[in-house]
Order: sequence, then structure tokens, then C-alpha cells
Amino acid sequence: MPERKTIQDYLQAVGEQIRWKRARPVVLWELERHLEDQRDAFAAEGRENPEELAVAEMGDPVSVGAELDLLHRPRPQWGLLALTILLAAAGAFLRFWLTRDFSIYFAEKLSHVVGGFVLGCLALLCGYFLDVGRLGRYPGLAYLGTLAASVVSLAVFPNTNGVSYYTRYVSLCFPVVYALWLYGCRGKGWKGQAFAILGGVPLAVVCMEIPHAFGLLLLLTAGFVMMLLAAAWDWFGIGRWKSLLLPAAAAAGVLAAAIDNVHSSGYLAARLEAAFHPETDPLGAGWTSIMIKKVLEISRWLGEGDLGGGSVESFEMMVPDCDQSALLTTLIYRMGWLPFLLVAVALAVLVVWLLCRCVRQKSKLGRLVALAVGMTLLGEALCSVAWNLGFAFLAAEFPLVTGNLHTVLAMGLIGLALSVFRGDSIARETRGRAVHLPRVRLRISLERIEQ
Amino acid sequence: MELDRSLISGSIPLLVMKLLEAGDLYGYQMIEELRRRSDDTFHLKAGTLYPLLHGLEEKGYVTAYEGEAAAGKPRRYYHLTAQGRDALREKEAAWNQYARAVGRVLKGGTCCAGA
Repeated sequence: MPERKTIQDYLQAVGEQIRWKRARPVVLWELERHLEDQRDAFAAEGRENPEELAVAEMGDPVSVGAELDLLHRPRPQWGLLALTILLAAAGAFLRFWLTRDFSIYFAEKLSHVVGGFVLGCLALLCGYFLDVGRLGRYPGLAYLGTLAASVVSLAVFPNTNGVSYYTRYVSLCFPVVYALWLYGCRGKGWKGQAFAILGGVPLAVVCMEIPHAFGLLLLLTAGFVMMLLAAAWDWFGIGRWKSLLLPAAAAAGVLAAAIDNVHSSGYLAARLEAAFHPETDPLGAGWTSIMIKKVLEISRWLGEGDLGGGSVESFEMMVPDCDQSALLTTLIYRMGWLPFLLVAVALAVLVVWLLCRCVRQKSKLGRLVALAVGMTLLGEALCSVAWNLGFAFLAAEFPLVTGNLHTVLAMGLIGLALSVFRGDSIARETRGRAVHLPRVRLRISLERIEQ
Repeated sequence: MELDRSLISGSIPLLVMKLLEAGDLYGYQMIEELRRRSDDTFHLKAGTLYPLLHGLEEKGYVTAYEGEAAAGKPRRYYHLTAQGRDALREKEAAWNQYARAVGRVLKGGTCCAGA
């Protein structure tokens, strides 16, 4: 066995035994600090070769590395991965099958659906192998990058019916990006907390510019919940109760603005009225709710509903957006309540599974990111189900079922949450310090040559 | 007299958790504290301590966080959780039972105690 004399030699020998590369710098950082403490203690005692002595005190690097290797292995998330892929495959089939003979709305081509599924699986794997801790080291970059992408998307992509559809997809990443932003503001006192809250403003403005009511509500709700968690963890270092003051003031301000909007503009009030009492405006804002409810009344437990001799065209004429936000209504009408319940229960299992795993995470950043993903999926699922049961207030895609591009995005987000669970054994709160060892070390020695 | 290592190895988790019961410590402090409290009897190698600490963290008996040591140096502190305290109580009870039993045997067995 070669003799290890320097701290770096020892750490290299330990690191060689740890197979998971991501675990090496995290584990070795702690050993390095210990060796430095031991070396300084020996030096203070006046002993010769303190570094060599400190290394000798540590024990055999191979057996230490082997033990640490067993403890720090990635935790594969096979169950959640399989459930996500299964649900996405079912969603792809449903998108194709339910819209196969549409003539008014968009009939999905098989190649598009298969392409969406394959790209979704790639996004899932990309997210799965991504290091969330690394993202947490550059929160400002992640935040500004997403903001810039959404502004470019607003400016470049054409609007359809006054809505920037592609920017809607970018806005679904806002809760995750806000979690990273919040993480970057920790430990900076009142100023940090003020920055954390102000960081939500440009994102909210983008949601209003799209316009995307669901995205805005999701951002505000997720942001408030995450801010409460940050206060409970005393992330800003101003005390738990004091940390609640600014978020409470911001929430009160948002609520007051919403109430004022309901009274002054009339648009929000009309939307609420139409959602709760669609019969008051049956040919206008209440049309979608009334038609969805009519279709649901004639749907069966299994098999296609009976529109009274009506064709697919008449169904498409009745239910607006039956290929997108009302796709679940199409599912209920064309295949029955039972397939709908199966899909809804499968997604509920996935979301509850994600949220339960999220609670058990060691890393607070990981917990926030997983929570942001879980809340995004849960919010979309709840709003989509409510819309498709006749409460047409906030339109949202049903995760992994509605829309090819949306499925790709949802799978990428789920992959990100799974990467948190996968790397939990090496999750560390590093207070902004980069944990890394150089991949290549150069050893330069100078020799004096006597002439 | 040097202690037989096999006598100590099984009790190291108990000793480490007992140290953490009084307050949060980082690895180097634990080794020094253990040496001090045992009058230089227990000289724990860092190579033994860290895998043990990471294993206890895995079981949820301890949590770790980054804190500042002397001169503002960042160190990884360990904190005994409520679950860890329960496990410590169980281990202490088991150890006391074991120590009493060994003591009785060494003194000649229960039948001869006090004879």
C-alpha cells in the first residue's frame, strides 16, 4: 500500500473508493476540514511533520472510502419513474384516441403524440440526472434566465386569441424558479426577505402579460407557502415570527388588490359569477360550464355517451376546447367515467407520493423544489378536474394527459423532483459555498540546479 | 494497559450519541471530547467516526448543518434528533443490562453474589 503523506493524497485515496462522483466533493470536504484541524493541533503542540501525523491519525483511506461509498449511493426512484412513464404513455394514447376523428378541433397526429412522449421521457431523465444543489448555487442565474426566456417568448411567439400560449408553459416553471430565488436570499436579514418578495413581482407581471390567471394564482400560492416555510426555518436570520410580517403584508396587499379588481373591473366578478351560477349567462360566460354539465349527464360508466343521435361534430360544437382544457370531458364522454377515475387516481397517487417524499427530504432546498413541483402538479390537476366537472373558472392542463408540449414540461419538472430524492444522501446546506474538488490537479515542483 | 478494540467497537455509536446529547458538536470536537471524558482511554479514529456519523444521519438519529467554528471556519455540526434520543435511551438501557451481567459473571455469578 502506498504511503499517504499529504492531506490531498489521503483525500484522493478516499475519493477513489467512492463510486458516485457527485458524493465525493461533499464527503471529502468534511474530512479535509478534520485533517486541517488535526494538523493545526499537532503544529500547535510543536510536533514535527504535523500534516503527516494528521494523515496517520485518520486510519486506512481505502477502508474509510469503502465504508463511505456504501453509505453514499444514489437512491434510484424506480417506482416514481415507472408511474410517471406509465401515466404519460396512457396520456399519449388518450390524446391520440380521443381526438382521432375531430374535424373542428385539432386531431392529434400519431407522430406528434409519440414525439411528445419520447421528448417527455428525455426531459424526465434530464431532470432526474440534474443536480439541484448545483442549481441552488446559481439562483440568480436560474431566475434571470427564466425571466429572460419568458420575456423573449412574450415578444417572439405569436398570440392566439390574445394569449401568449408558449409563455404559459414557461410560467409553469415559475414556482420552481422562485424556490431557487428564495434559497439565494437566505441569511441576508430584512434586505434578503424584501428581495425574496420583490423577486416574485416580475414573474407575476409576466403572468399578467400572457395573460395566465392559473399561472398567477399558482405563483402567488406557492410563493406564499414557500415564504411561510422559509420563515419557519428562519432563513433570513431575523427570527421566526418577525419573518412572517413582510409576507403577511404582501399577502394582504395582493388580497386587497384582488378584491378591488372584483369590484372595479367587473371581469373577475363575471368569471366568478359564471363559474358558480352559469345559468345567469347561458350564452356567454356560462356556456362552457353548462355544456360540460350536459355532456356529463349523458355520459356512461364505460363506453361512449349518447348525445341523442349526435355525431362527433355536434360534441365538438358543444364543448369548447375539447382537445385541451376540456380533454377530460372528452374522455368521460367518449370512454366513460371509469377511465377518467383511473387516470385521476393514478395522478393523485403520483402527486401524493411526491409530496410525502418531499416532507422527508434532508435538504431544505430540495424540499422547496420538490414542493414547488408537487404544488404545480396538484394545482393543475385540481383546476383541470374542476373545469371538467363544470366549474369553469381557471383553465389548466391535466398533467401528463393534456397537450404534447405540456407533457414534456410536466415530465421535466417531475424528473427534477426525483433528482432531489435520488441525491438525498449527499444533500447539504452549504451557505453559498461551492463544494468541489478540482478534477485535474497540477503538481509543480521547482528545483534549484547547482552549476 | 491497551484496551481490546473489540470491546469498544460495539459501543461507539452509544458513546457518540451520548456526547451529542449535551450539545451539537463537529467531528473533531467529538474525538477530543471523547478522549477528554475517558481520560485518554478512547482514542477514536476519524476514519471510524465519519462513516458512523453518516450512518446515524441516514437512520435519522442525527441531523447535520453547517455552522461556524473558531475564527469563523465553517464546520459540519451534528445534532441529536428526538428519534436519536429515544435510540440513545434504549442503547443505554441495553448497555447497563449487559455491563451488570458481565459484572455478575466476573464476580462469580448471581448464586455467589454476596457469598
